[in-house]
Amino acid sequence: MNIHRMGKFITKKAASAVVLLFGLMTIIFVIAHAAPGDPVSAMISPKTPASVGQELRHQFGLDQSVFLQYLRWLENALKGNFGFSFSYQRPVVDVLMSFFPNTALLALSAIGLEIILGVALGILAVSYQNSWLDRIINNASLVAYTLPTFWVGLMFLALFSYALGLFPSSQMNSVEAEQLSVAGRCLDLVKHLILPVLTIAVSGAAGIARYFRASLLTVQNAEYVTYARSLGIKKRDIFLFYELPNSIAPVITILGLEIGTLLAGAVVTETIFAWPGIGRLAVLAMLSRDYPLILGCTLVSGIVVIVGNLIADLLYMYVDPRIRLPV
Amino acid sequence: MNGDRPMRNPEQGDKTFFIKIQCSLVLAALVSVLGGCSQKKGQETANANTQVVIALEGDIDSFNPLFAEDVAAGEINDLFFPGLTTSRFDTVLGVLEYEPSLAKSWEYENGNKDIRFHLQTNARWQDSTKMKAKDVEISYELYADTSVASIRQASVDGLRRTSSGSLDVSKAVEVVDDSTILFHFDHPYPGQLFDAGLPILPSHVFQNLPRTSMREQGPSRQPLSAGPFVLKSWKPLEEIVITSNPLSVVPHSAKLSEVIFRIIPDYHSRLMQLRAGEVDVLPYIEVEDALELAHKNMSIRIVPLGERFYDAINWNSIDPEEYQRSKGKVLRPHYLFGTARVRKALTLAINRKEIVDSYLRSYGKEAIGPISPLFRWAYNDTLKPLPFDPSLASKLLYEEGWRDTDGDGVLEKDARKFSFALRIPAGNQLRATIASIVQRQLSAMKIRVTIEQVERSVFWSDLMEKKFDACIAGFSVPLQLQLDEWWSSDLERSRFNLTSFRNKRVDEILAGTRRIVKETDHANAWKEFQTILQDEQPCTFLYWMNDLVAVNTRIQGIEMGILGIAYHAGDWYVGDQRADDKAQSK
Repeated sequence: MNIHRMGKFITKKAASAVVLLFGLMTIIFVIAHAAPGDPVSAMISPKTPASVGQELRHQFGLDQSVFLQYLRWLENALKGNFGFSFSYQRPVVDVLMSFFPNTALLALSAIGLEIILGVALGILAVSYQNSWLDRIINNASLVAYTLPTFWVGLMFLALFSYALGLFPSSQMNSVEAEQLSVAGRCLDLVKHLILPVLTIAVSGAAGIARYFRASLLTVQNAEYVTYARSLGIKKRDIFLFYELPNSIAPVITILGLEIGTLLAGAVVTETIFAWPGIGRLAVLAMLSRDYPLILGCTLVSGIVVIVGNLIADLLYMYVDPRIRLPV
Repeated sequence: MNGDRPMRNPEQGDKTFFIKIQCSLVLAALVSVLGGCSQKKGQETANANTQVVIALEGDIDSFNPLFAEDVAAGEINDLFFPGLTTSRFDTVLGVLEYEPSLAKSWEYENGNKDIRFHLQTNARWQDSTKMKAKDVEISYELYADTSVASIRQASVDGLRRTSSGSLDVSKAVEVVDDSTILFHFDHPYPGQLFDAGLPILPSHVFQNLPRTSMREQGPSRQPLSAGPFVLKSWKPLEEIVITSNPLSVVPHSAKLSEVIFRIIPDYHSRLMQLRAGEVDVLPYIEVEDALELAHKNMSIRIVPLGERFYDAINWNSIDPEEYQRSKGKVLRPHYLFGTARVRKALTLAINRKEIVDSYLRSYGKEAIGPISPLFRWAYNDTLKPLPFDPSLASKLLYEEGWRDTDGDGVLEKDARKFSFALRIPAGNQLRATIASIVQRQLSAMKIRVTIEQVERSVFWSDLMEKKFDACIAGFSVPLQLQLDEWWSSDLERSRFNLTSFRNKRVDEILAGTRRIVKETDHANAWKEFQTILQDEQPCTFLYWMNDLVAVNTRIQGIEMGILGIAYHAGDWYVGDQRADDKAQSK
């Protein structure tokens, strides 16, 4: 791929992303401020003297008009200052930085599991095409694809945590984690990661399995594959060098779309499993009307979706040479 | 092609290859699942320690007593920041008593208007800085400073003011020497020692911080303790770990090595971890679970915190629309709840005993008014709750002119239907259930009730502005009986007078509390107050709730009650730790 053209392509995408983010933040700012209640009444008890509430509104600039608040926020945001979180009493960037790695760990593990499971099931279904196994995989993945994340999470929690006691129901680590060795701590983290990751990955893996199966079957019937077979090329090589690269494109498309779904799923999953990540933070920010933090969470989610889709675009171009960068 | 390779069945080879891929992919997916199953080792190690785990529903807001609004935050902060005095609730007399804390003794002067406190001379902050009278002075200065906007600002209202009426803390809280401080109050009142017992802050940390942005400063996250515990770590939305403070003499280092507050939002997860022994203390356990655990689980005991919280159906006695239109100037009676007779009829039509028996069991009590039975000296035990009497209720409504003349199943008067919205805060299952019961029982009286669940902060904001017809809301009673904010006729001052109740005699009784020195001197007036409320029925008082805490029996020395869950947590110990300590000291 021409580096210069790719640079131009990325710059163009980045410019449109900035416009998109600006629009998104403006909409979220308006919606957040239009919601009834304000951060101060959510922050202090009704028993706190009214004068304290007024002073706080003044200190937080909430006594100004929404338009002025917006201008002030925009001015600060352009300087890289995203304000102070009302509920955490810390700069929004600091708060986001302490929670983002946890969400990234959860999301990346879920993506990894989605790809592994989805591709594995797709291959399995194709290997036993039209058998009972194929039908089971096909139907089960259709059901799994339609299941809502919150329901899956609650079912996993009820079964694996409450009923069988196999996995912890919440948090990232056990009480005694600090007393464990590094390996023990890693195992403890993995143990806590399993249910939330499975919850997020189930629907994505099912989608990938179905699309990958369909794509693999199409590719297997393509003329170039028949030609390769007629040349006596080993089936393994045909799979690795002809079938897999050509059937993986739909998986990349799904993964690009999946990033948004993944973040939405993280909101639900992190809340169900008390995972301390951006999703749960966003829910708490909304409940406490913590406007700067709501905007911060939105910004992070927006950037992740845009960057994720950009990577998906580039990967798509890489695996499918028919798609070229615009000249 | 492939001539030099051994022959094999190509189909067989391909299948093996695919099976290998599948197995490795599936194995890769399951490695983490299986890997996570090795456990328990660490748990055994932790259990050998004197470590206690308390489950919390949500994170705390701040470690700064100036701003900590959250109940759990307040309790944890009390373990870091001792006050001059500490409170103890005498359950026999039902009164709050005061014991030495940072102040080892005190005496009243100037006709009880001043209190001279003598501080412990060996008390130190965790950084070894000595605790001095200046810490007390600076703390009260910060509590009083309007630019700081402390939530405890009202606690300094009783201090002596200057001739112009303003509060000058440097004159009201006078440093005599490093270990003596003199509090000047405006007049003697029962809560003087309560107000002088606010958490004391380290002046060397706080005095140079910018006042208007004090919330954002480091001490809100990294407290400097002088109490029995110090903060070890705080992972937001995960856990708070506090450890014993070896330097503490107020009152002493904690007996436990560590207390971990785990934030577990889901109630069932908290309960499961309690059953599994991963959590030792579970606050606010539901009645059904408490009953089950009390009978089936020998390692868990249920501790009732005392009847400090009540729920009531508040009937707005004024027209909310007219009140909004006139910006609070016109108080026109509500067309439904404007008369005591209608309000009384509504109370008679609701079976409160059934609610208590069904949902609170032995952990609740029917309420007759806003004074808890815990305050034995003030509680009017001659009053009985109004009975459940639908026929009397119908009669009273008929006398008030409410009849179903058009036969549509709803009462009407002057062409207006007896129909209203009952508001409840979202997320409170008990109140939602009670709202349904009330709806059903009033429907039998031909009263149409619609239930509105409203988000919590919006719910309270609307209530304060009187934008409602009826609502189920609850309050915790203050430990010092001062009820002006709830029942005074001055609606600008009484923010919690949700029903806009106005009564001259009640105002006199409330004013009387400001003229007494000893709280119990006002007992008869409080009893009369309850009689008036029963006659007027501004609310249908439902029940006193006993908040329940499940505690693992291995935790000893607990003093949980209306003063909190972590009250005197420095004295908690695990199992035979006390015997071990004694043996060690020998």
